[in-house]
Amino acid sequence: MGSSRSSLRGVPDGQQLLQETGCEPERSGRLGWFCLGLRSEDLEAELSENPIGDRIVGAFFQPGQETVDFPSFVRVLAHFRPTEKNWTRDGVQPEPANSRNRKLKFAFQLYDQDRDGKISRTELLQVLREMLGLQVTEEQLQSIAERAIQEADLDRDDAICFDEFRKSLEKVDIDHKMSVRFLE
Amino acid sequence: MFSRMAPRGRSGLGRSLAELGLLLLAILVLLDGTVLSLEAATSSEIDTHEGKPGTHKNTSKKSFPVLGIKYDDVSVPFEISLWVLLASLMKLGFHLIPRLSNVVPESCLLISVGLLVGGILKLARDEVPPVLSDRIFFLCLLPPIILDAGYFLPIRPFVENIGTILMFAVVGTLWNAFFVGGLIYAVCQIAQDKYSEIDLSNIGILPCLLFGSIISAVDPVAVLAVFEEIHINELLHILVFGESLLNDAVTVVLYHLFEEFMESGSVSAVDALLGLVSFLIVALGGVLVGAFYGILAAFTSRFTSHTRVIEPLFVFLYSYMAYLSAEVFHLSGIMSLIACGAVMRPYVEANISHKSHTTIKYFLKMWSSVSETLIFIFLGVATVEGEHHWNWVFLTSTVVLCLVARVIGVVGLTFIINKFRIVKLTTKDQFIIAYGGLRGAIAFSLGFILHSEHKRIFLTAIITVIFFTVFVQGMTIKPLVELLAVKKKHEAKRSINEEIHTRFLDHLLTGIEDICGHYGHHHWKNKLNRFNKKYVKKILIAGDRSKEPQLIAFYHKLEMKNAIQMVESGGGSKLNSTFPSTVSMQNIQPKIHSPPSARPSERALPQLTKGREEEIRQILRTNLQKTRQRLQSYNRHTLVVDPDEEGFDDLILKKRRMMELDWKLKQMTNYLTVPRPQGSPTMSRARMASGRNTDFIPAQQKKGNKQSSDSQAYVKPGAENVPTIKIDLASPQSPDSVRLLDEVVQDQGLTMSLPSSSSRAYKTSGKDDGRDQQKLLRCLSDPGPDVDDDEDYDDDEPVPT
Repeated sequence: MGSSRSSLRGVPDGQQLLQETGCEPERSGRLGWFCLGLRSEDLEAELSENPIGDRIVGAFFQPGQETVDFPSFVRVLAHFRPTEKNWTRDGVQPEPANSRNRKLKFAFQLYDQDRDGKISRTELLQVLREMLGLQVTEEQLQSIAERAIQEADLDRDDAICFDEFRKSLEKVDIDHKMSVRFLE
Repeated sequence: MFSRMAPRGRSGLGRSLAELGLLLLAILVLLDGTVLSLEAATSSEIDTHEGKPGTHKNTSKKSFPVLGIKYDDVSVPFEISLWVLLASLMKLGFHLIPRLSNVVPESCLLISVGLLVGGILKLARDEVPPVLSDRIFFLCLLPPIILDAGYFLPIRPFVENIGTILMFAVVGTLWNAFFVGGLIYAVCQIAQDKYSEIDLSNIGILPCLLFGSIISAVDPVAVLAVFEEIHINELLHILVFGESLLNDAVTVVLYHLFEEFMESGSVSAVDALLGLVSFLIVALGGVLVGAFYGILAAFTSRFTSHTRVIEPLFVFLYSYMAYLSAEVFHLSGIMSLIACGAVMRPYVEANISHKSHTTIKYFLKMWSSVSETLIFIFLGVATVEGEHHWNWVFLTSTVVLCLVARVIGVVGLTFIINKFRIVKLTTKDQFIIAYGGLRGAIAFSLGFILHSEHKRIFLTAIITVIFFTVFVQGMTIKPLVELLAVKKKHEAKRSINEEIHTRFLDHLLTGIEDICGHYGHHHWKNKLNRFNKKYVKKILIAGDRSKEPQLIAFYHKLEMKNAIQMVESGGGSKLNSTFPSTVSMQNIQPKIHSPPSARPSERALPQLTKGREEEIRQILRTNLQKTRQRLQSYNRHTLVVDPDEEGFDDLILKKRRMMELDWKLKQMTNYLTVPRPQGSPTMSRARMASGRNTDFIPAQQKKGNKQSSDSQAYVKPGAENVPTIKIDLASPQSPDSVRLLDEVVQDQGLTMSLPSSSSRAYKTSGKDDGRDQQKLLRCLSDPGPDVDDDEDYDDDEPVPT
């Protein structure tokens, strides 16, 4: 991936973006060069081997858009900044992009393609199918999905809503897991 | 039989008694004779051995020695067994006194016992009690503990924190060694205790450095013993524990280095450089040797499908060979053992049977537990034995310096490390890490094999430091952990959700890193996984398990655990007395016809069409597949199925078999529930639990069933509201079971209004009814004593000792 140093001047609303995402101008500048007008094909090339590659690509693009501009790109990547431990919720500032909640929300949205706020069984099956591919039978996939839903679904609506998703992951160290060090 | 003998009369009895008495008398006489002639016999035996045929006639006729004492031949194994038995009994004893084991860690108690025993032995025999020889320690007692630690090492947190661990292990130990060694030398030079007979200034710098290197190593045995009881969070545990394991390489190198220097008498820069190179060789060489043996073990386990019995033996032997081979070349045996266990584990576990897995786990835990106990007891005994050179200056300064060195080392290193970590180490973490630096038996053994003239004073100091850390730090760490509110370990096991989502996040992060062009942690892990899957697994894992993705393997493991739990909890059931009588067809048939009021439901039975019946059967079968995971087995048929099957395909097969059996049972119990059995206690219990009239309506009645005829495994949840019942293993009268019944009631999915109000409770859809049936049947069985004793089935959690 080509990258070269470019300043933030070329980027519209640079300062606001900085505030919103917390990314330093230098770091984001490095990415900005190739990000202006990035198309989905460019991203897909990188993620060809990744089982959920097209979902990740889809997350960058707003629905209906063909290209992603720099601010949206940075906004998405901002979710992966390491969490600061001393951030306290005081209700005045909006929640920073890299808080645990926002990270989980981002991950949730990757599951929930139709954006109805729940991960239905079909969506879960799709994800499992993508991750496990042709190595397993349909029956096994369905039993796994069934078990997963049975374990997580507390209000018995046969789908996993965001709260249930968050609850099932409360023991996992999301702050550590969903952080890319380079984005500090 | 006795009744048959009685008619023989008193004479018969009397005769047998007399015979018995005579026999006893004869034996006694013989015994006396032998005891008396024992001396003669032994002496004459010797005589007869020397002189051959001629003297044979001359010796007095000795009686055959019935009883004799021959202790020397068995003395060594006898004593060893006695020690091990004593150790185990002590362990038993501690856990019987709950208050004691809460306050005092086990290691302290064991050392105290050792002190006691050593003291008694010294007073009684007035000779040196058996001492902890270094060969026994390093060759027999240490390997099981390390293998246990290495085999069950949680790989993911270990590798994630490997940088931190290595920093602490290498740099921290070096710092400790030089700091303590150097300052102790300074203290020796300065201080002069007039009342002590030891001239401290005699101790040169090199012996001091050697002493420093021995005492600076954090001991895995002591750390394990103490940290297992305090249950701190995984991160801290793996940091301190990993450090204690990896610093062995540093200790080995420093020890040999300084010993060589002491022999040669001079140090040069080249030697220092060689020392550095030697460190790399020792560490990496140990790991390579271990990995090599690990791969061999994995490869061997691929072919053991026909000889399951010796599978555990391979694991143990290969690991021990790894340790010994490393020791041959002066490489780090501990690191080799860890590497062997860690490398071998994923492949071996995919290959071996479930029973072998359990065997390995329990043998390792047992051996390591016994070893640990013995080590601490021997430590106590060895303290009593042997002369000590008390020098207060030396001792106190050693202890103080060790503490200070540790604190400064940890704080300084954390400052540097935190610049590179995502999740920083807080002050609390640093305190626990510093406080958890316990010294133990390795330091003692290393000191024991010293060839220095100051060996005695060093040993005394080492023992003092060990006692201080184990007693003071070991006892106070638990209250401190509570006081500082350090995060504790998460108790529960991983659920399938966590597994799925963690994998998902792994892929996500790999993707993001690819986008950023940043080759981070996830990138390399992904590459390693792909390499592993493509090449390594094919070679090392038998059959088609090599293609099984990890998620599936995990899922199967979970299913297996559930199946075993189900069978085990069903095994405690007391239903056998009541159930078979009700299940058997003979009893049922009359009951159907006997009740006076012919219920409309019964008449509905023969009117069911064949097609409808088939549908319902399908529905019930699919539901059995779903709820199989949670229901207990409630009849003896399913208990017969052996849960410990060898392959996972068998599991699926047996599942189907169980399903069919269950279906048959269900058919029978349909009839069971129609009449109201009066006297059965289990039925009345079920009635009480449900809180309602237990008038079941058999499945066959549901003609108005709107279930789709989709006989595929899944019923689309779209149209109907498929209730998912989570029946947990609770007793019939628990609130859970009642609550679940309520939920069934509230579900409006497929209602069919029936004339009697009471039967409204038991719903209408075939599915529901199937579950109700099972619910009732579950009520009939006793859940058994230990329903939630599933600690045993978690691989990653240590079995509490």
